[in-house]
Amino acid sequence: MLDMNNHLPKQFFWLFLFIPILVGSRIIAEENPSRAGSTAGVEFFESQIRPLLATHCYQCHGPEEQEGQLRLDSYAGMIQGGKSGAAVVPQETAESLLVIAVGYANEHLKMPPDDKLPEIEIAKLTEWVAAGAPHPDEHQNVVSKKRLNLEAGRQFWSFQRPQISPVPAVSQPNWGRSGLDFYLLARLDDNQLTPAPAASNRTLIRRLTFNLIGLPPTAGAAARFAQDRSPDALARVTDRLLASPQYGERWARHWLDVVRYADSNGLDENIAHGNAWRYRDYVVNALNTDKSFDVFVREQIAGDLLAADDDQQRRFERLTATGFLSLGPKVLAEPDARKMEMDIIDEQLDTLCRSFLGITMGCARCHDHKFDPLSSADYYALAGIFKSTRTMENFRKVGALGKWWENSIATDADHTRKNDHATQLAAAQAEVAEFIKSTDAAVLAALPECTSPPEDVQSIYSAEAKAKLNSLNAVVTDLQASMPELPSAMGVQEGDIANLAVHIRGSYLTLGKVVPRRLPDLFAGTQQASFDTSTSGRLKFANWIASTDNPLTSRVIANRIWRWHFGQGLVGTTDNFGNLGERPVNQPLLDWLALELEHRQWSIKALHRTIVTSSSFAMSSQDNEAGSAMDPENRWQWRANLRRLEAESIRDAMLFVSGQLDRSMGGSLLHLKNRGYFFDHTSKDTTSYDSQRRSIYLPIVRNHLYDVFQLFDYSDAGSVVGHRTSSVVAPQALFMMNSPFMATTSAALAESLVNNAETNRQAIIQNLFQQAFSRAPSAVEFQNALDFLNEATHIADAEAAAEKEQEAWRLLCQVILQSNEFIYIE
Amino acid sequence: MLKASALGFGHLAFADLLNKVPAAAPANPLAARQTHFPARAKRIIFLFMKGGPSHVDTFDRKPKLDRDDGKELPFDKPRVTFAETGKLLRSPWKFKHFGQSGIEVSNLFPHVAKHVDDLCILNSVHGTNPAHGGACLKLHTGSDNFIRPSMGSWVTYGLGTENENLPGFITICPTLAHGGVRNFGSAFLPAQYSATSMGVASQEAKLARVKFAKNEVTSKDLQRLQLDLLSKFNHEHLDISGAHSDLESRILSFELAFRMQHEIPQIENLAEESEKTRSLYGLDQAVTEDFGRQCLLARRFIERGVRFIQVTHSNTKVQWDQHGDLLNGHNANALEVDLPIAGLLTDLKQRGLLEDTLVLWGGEFGRTPVAQGTDGRDHNPEGFTMWLAGGGVKGGFRYGATDEYGYYAVENKMHIHDLHATILHLLGIDHEQLTYRYAGRDFRLTDVSGRVAQAILA
Repeated sequence: MLDMNNHLPKQFFWLFLFIPILVGSRIIAEENPSRAGSTAGVEFFESQIRPLLATHCYQCHGPEEQEGQLRLDSYAGMIQGGKSGAAVVPQETAESLLVIAVGYANEHLKMPPDDKLPEIEIAKLTEWVAAGAPHPDEHQNVVSKKRLNLEAGRQFWSFQRPQISPVPAVSQPNWGRSGLDFYLLARLDDNQLTPAPAASNRTLIRRLTFNLIGLPPTAGAAARFAQDRSPDALARVTDRLLASPQYGERWARHWLDVVRYADSNGLDENIAHGNAWRYRDYVVNALNTDKSFDVFVREQIAGDLLAADDDQQRRFERLTATGFLSLGPKVLAEPDARKMEMDIIDEQLDTLCRSFLGITMGCARCHDHKFDPLSSADYYALAGIFKSTRTMENFRKVGALGKWWENSIATDADHTRKNDHATQLAAAQAEVAEFIKSTDAAVLAALPECTSPPEDVQSIYSAEAKAKLNSLNAVVTDLQASMPELPSAMGVQEGDIANLAVHIRGSYLTLGKVVPRRLPDLFAGTQQASFDTSTSGRLKFANWIASTDNPLTSRVIANRIWRWHFGQGLVGTTDNFGNLGERPVNQPLLDWLALELEHRQWSIKALHRTIVTSSSFAMSSQDNEAGSAMDPENRWQWRANLRRLEAESIRDAMLFVSGQLDRSMGGSLLHLKNRGYFFDHTSKDTTSYDSQRRSIYLPIVRNHLYDVFQLFDYSDAGSVVGHRTSSVVAPQALFMMNSPFMATTSAALAESLVNNAETNRQAIIQNLFQQAFSRAPSAVEFQNALDFLNEATHIADAEAAAEKEQEAWRLLCQVILQSNEFIYIE
Repeated sequence: MLKASALGFGHLAFADLLNKVPAAAPANPLAARQTHFPARAKRIIFLFMKGGPSHVDTFDRKPKLDRDDGKELPFDKPRVTFAETGKLLRSPWKFKHFGQSGIEVSNLFPHVAKHVDDLCILNSVHGTNPAHGGACLKLHTGSDNFIRPSMGSWVTYGLGTENENLPGFITICPTLAHGGVRNFGSAFLPAQYSATSMGVASQEAKLARVKFAKNEVTSKDLQRLQLDLLSKFNHEHLDISGAHSDLESRILSFELAFRMQHEIPQIENLAEESEKTRSLYGLDQAVTEDFGRQCLLARRFIERGVRFIQVTHSNTKVQWDQHGDLLNGHNANALEVDLPIAGLLTDLKQRGLLEDTLVLWGGEFGRTPVAQGTDGRDHNPEGFTMWLAGGGVKGGFRYGATDEYGYYAVENKMHIHDLHATILHLLGIDHEQLTYRYAGRDFRLTDVSGRVAQAILA
C-alpha cells in the first residue's frame, strides 16, 4: 500500500548515469520565471522537470502503472495525489510528498526507491514546487481530494446529530413497554419477523443478575422472583441489583476494557502501574454513584482542570480520573525521546477518540485518514493538546526507563504522617550517632596508654555495647523501611503549551506546516477559532466531547451499553463509527437510546432500567425458522442471544456458588512496588493470583494475563476493546478438567453442600442444582447424578468411605461447574 | 459458518481468509490449508537468541575491524543509539573457512560451522529497534509500538496444523520480558492461532510442560466418568435450549482435550529417544542439556505436524546482551547452543526433514562494531545477521552485506518486513494476500512493506 515503494529496475540506474547533467541551467532567470503562470516557469517545467519525472517516475506513476494510485504525468495527478496524499502542493515544499520522497529524509518514503537522485535534481524539483509548480495545465480547476471529502463526509450517518423518529406503528402495539420496544419491533415487522416469546422468570433472573452484577442469583433470590407475580417485580429486582455495590464492580470492568486498563505497562518493559488501581476504584465508584456520563467524560480527560470548590477529596478524585490518559502501554525503553513522546501522544489520542467518539484518529498520524474526512492537520491539531499536557515526568535516560507522571493526592494527614515518621527516623539516627560518639570516647579512654586505637573502634566495644548498637540500628532500619509513601495517582497536568507541525508520514524528522490546536474541521468547521495559548485546550476538547454539540458521544456509549446487555452492538463495531465501521442495524433505535441518555441527565442507571425492563430484553433465546433463515446472526434482535459468561464472571460465579467469594472492595493486590518489574530479563514470574476477591481486583498484567483471563477471551488490556469475542478452544477444556483452580473450587462446593448437615444424596443433588442452575434437576439428570456418585465412590482411590464419598461429590461438582449450562446464559 | 473443529470451535469470521487463500472452506480453522503457491517449506523452527548475538563475532567477519581496532568509526553512528559507545573494537575470536562454500565462521560456533553448506546466511538484516522490547516485538510481530499478531500466529492462520490433536504453534521456554506473550500472541487473530507455551525462560527445560495437560489429582478412569456425565448433562441442556453451534462445539472440545492430554505428555517424554540421539543434541552434557532438550522437543513436535515452533535461548544472567565482558559472555552463550543446534541440523537432515523444514536462527538485533566501555558492544539494529537452513533456501550462501566494519546493512538490505515476506514466501504464502480484517482494516504481517529476497531461494 505504500505509494511509491516500487523498485526501479536495475537498468534504469545505468540509464540514469548517461543523462547529461545540466548544471548551468538554473531555471530561475532574471524575471523569476518559475512563478506560476509565467511562461518561463512553464518552460522550466518542460525543459527541466518533465524530463526528470519521465525518466525516474513515470514507469511506476505514469500511463502504464499507477503505484499507490499516483500519476505524475498530469497536473491533476500530481495535485490530487495518490493514496498517501498530494504529491505536489504548490509553494509548499514541506507538504509535497514528491519533494519529501526525493529528499530521502523519511525512512518510509524514499523515491526513487533504489537510488537517491543527485542533489542538483532534488534542488530543481524543490525549487519548482516552491515557485508554485508552474505547469501548462495549471489553469485547470483541480480540487484537492481533501475538500471534497470534508463536504461529502459530513453527510455520513454518524457525523449527523441523532434524530428522533416518530414512534412507528407496529404489529403488536401491546408488546412494547417503551420507545425501545417499538423501534425494535418495527425493524422486525419490516422483515416479517416476530419476536421470540418472553423468557421464563428463572431465565430472566439469571440473565438480569449476571448482566447487572456479574454473578448468578442466589437460590433464594431466584425462587422468590419465580413466585413473584406483582407487576413491578422486575423493576424492584432491577433497583435492588443496581443499588448493590457489585453493580459497580461488574460495569466498571466493561469500562476498563474500553480504556485498556492494566496494572502493568506491558509492551517492552513490563513494570508495575502501582497506582492504577486508584483509577479502577474511581470507575467502580462512579458507576455505583451513577455519575452522569458527561461528567465522567470530563473528569477522565480534564479532571485536573475542573474547578473543585476547595473540596480536596473531589479534587483528588478528579486527578485520579485523568489516569485514563496515562494507562496506555508505553515503549519505556525507547531511546529516541521524541519518538517516545509522539508515540505516547498517539496512543492517548487514538484511545480517547475511539473510546468516546468511535473514530479512528490514529489513522491520520501518517497521512490524511483514508476513509473518514479527518486530515493529518486535524490529527496534529488535537495531538498539540496532548503535546501541551504533561504525561511523563521524564523520557528515557541512558540506563533508566521513561517515567510516567503521577499527581500527588496526599492529604494534610498524609503529609503529617510522613513528617512525623521522618522526625522519628532522624531522632533514631541521632541516637545512634550519639551512642557511637560517647561509646567511642569511653572505649578509647579506657585503652592502656601508648596503645594505638584500632581503625574500627566498634570492634573493641564490649558485647553489651555491641548489642545496644545493633538494636539502635535495627530501629533505624525499620523506620527507613516503613517510611510511608505519599499517595499519588497516574494522571496528567498541563504542560508547556505548544502547537505541533504536521509530521509527514508520521515522522518528526519531516515536519510540515504548524497546526494550531483546535477541533477537527469535520465537526467544528474550517472557520473555527483555534485554542488560545494559555491552556492546552484539553478542557475545551473534553467539554465538547461531553456536550450535545457532537453527534457521536451519546450514540457511542448507548451502543456500548446495548452491546454489553445483548452481546452485540446496534453498531457491530463498537469502537469504530466511521466509514469502515458497520452501519447501525437499527438507527432509529440507536438514536432514541442516545437521546434518551442525553435527556435523562446522562444517567447510566436510568438507561439500564429502560433496557432491562423492556420486552426486548425479556425475550427468550427460542429459535424460529423465519428468524434463522432471514437473520441467522440475529442482528435485528428477534430473540435473545445465548452468551458465554466473560472470563471474570466464570471465575466469580464459581467462587460465589462454592461459597468462597471474598466480597471486600477496592484497594491493590499488587505485590510489587510502583514501577517494579513484573518481568525482567530473567523471566522470573512474579505474578500472583492467590486471592478470592472478585476478578476485577486481580492484577491485570499485560503480556502475561492470569490463565483464566487469557483462556477465556479477556480484553488484551492494551487497546480499546468494546466487544470481546468468545472462542471455544480445547485449552479451555483442559483448564476445566485439570487446573488446580477447578480442583479447589469443586472441592469447596462439595464441602459446602455435604457439610450443610445434609447427608441425604437426593437432597444434596437438589441443593447443588438450585445453587448452580437456579432450578431443580430433571428426573434424568437426577438419576445420572446418582449413578455417577455410585460409580465414582466405587472407583475413587481413597481409604475411608467418607473420603470416597467426598471425592465423588467433588467430581460431581466439577462436572456441574464445567457444564454448558453453568457458563452460558440464555 | 464453521460448526466444529479440533482445536478451535465456533463461529469465526473466516470469510475473509477464504476469499484470499485458494483453499476449499475447511471445517476446522486449524485444518491444514492449501498455499498460494507450492511451498518450499512446510514448517518452521525458530531458534531465538534473546539479547542480540554479535554478528561481527560470529557469521559476519570484518577484516577491517581487526585492522582498525581502537580507531574512530570513520562515518557517523546512527542518530539514535541505545547507549554511549566509543571506538572500533576488534573481534576476540578467530575465523576459519568451512565447507565447500568456504564461508567464514568464528570459533564461537565450531559445530554449527560444519553445517555451513546448509546455511543461508543473511548478513544484511536490519530495522528492528535499538531497545530489547521494541526489537523483540518488531522481530516477532512486525511492529514495535502497536499490538499485532506474531509471525507464528500468522503462519498458523495461513497454513493450519497437520495434527488436529496438537496446537499449530508452540513456543518452548519463551522469555517473559520485552514483549512477553505479545511475541507469540495472536492479538486480533482468533485465539486458536496464539502459541501454546511450554515453560518459561527462567525455568529449566526439563520442567517445561504444556499447562493443564495433566491432571495431578484425578485418575484417568474417574476423569472419563466425569466427561461421560458432562456429556449427558450438556446434551440434555442442548435439547432444551435448542441447537447452537457454540454449545455443540464445546461438547466436542472436551473430547479433544481428553485426547490432547494423552498425546502431549508422550511427545514431552524424551526418554523414548535413543542414547545416540540424546547425545547428538548434547543431552548428556550439563552445559548443553537445557538447550538440547528444547531442540529435541522441537523436532518431536514438528514431526507430529506442529507448524511453527519457537525455541528460546535466554540465559537468565544476561542472555546474549554483552554490553560488557563480550568474550566471556558470548563464549558461555555459544557453548550452550552450538552443539544442540548442530545436532538438530544433523538430525533433521538424516530424517529427511530438513528438506521441507525451515530453520531460522538469530536474535532481536546484532551488536555494534564499536566498543561500549572497554570490552562490550551495544545493541545494533542497523545491520546484523540471521541465518536460515533447509526448507528451500540456498545452502552455503551469503545474502547481503554490512559495511566494511559491520555497522550498517548496505547491500541487498533485508528489513524485518522483508525477512517476514521471505519466510512466508518459503512457506507458500504471498505476504500481501495473507490478510485479516480487523476494526475495519485489512492487516498483514508485513504491514505495507516487505520484499521477498528471491536470490536466496534454492
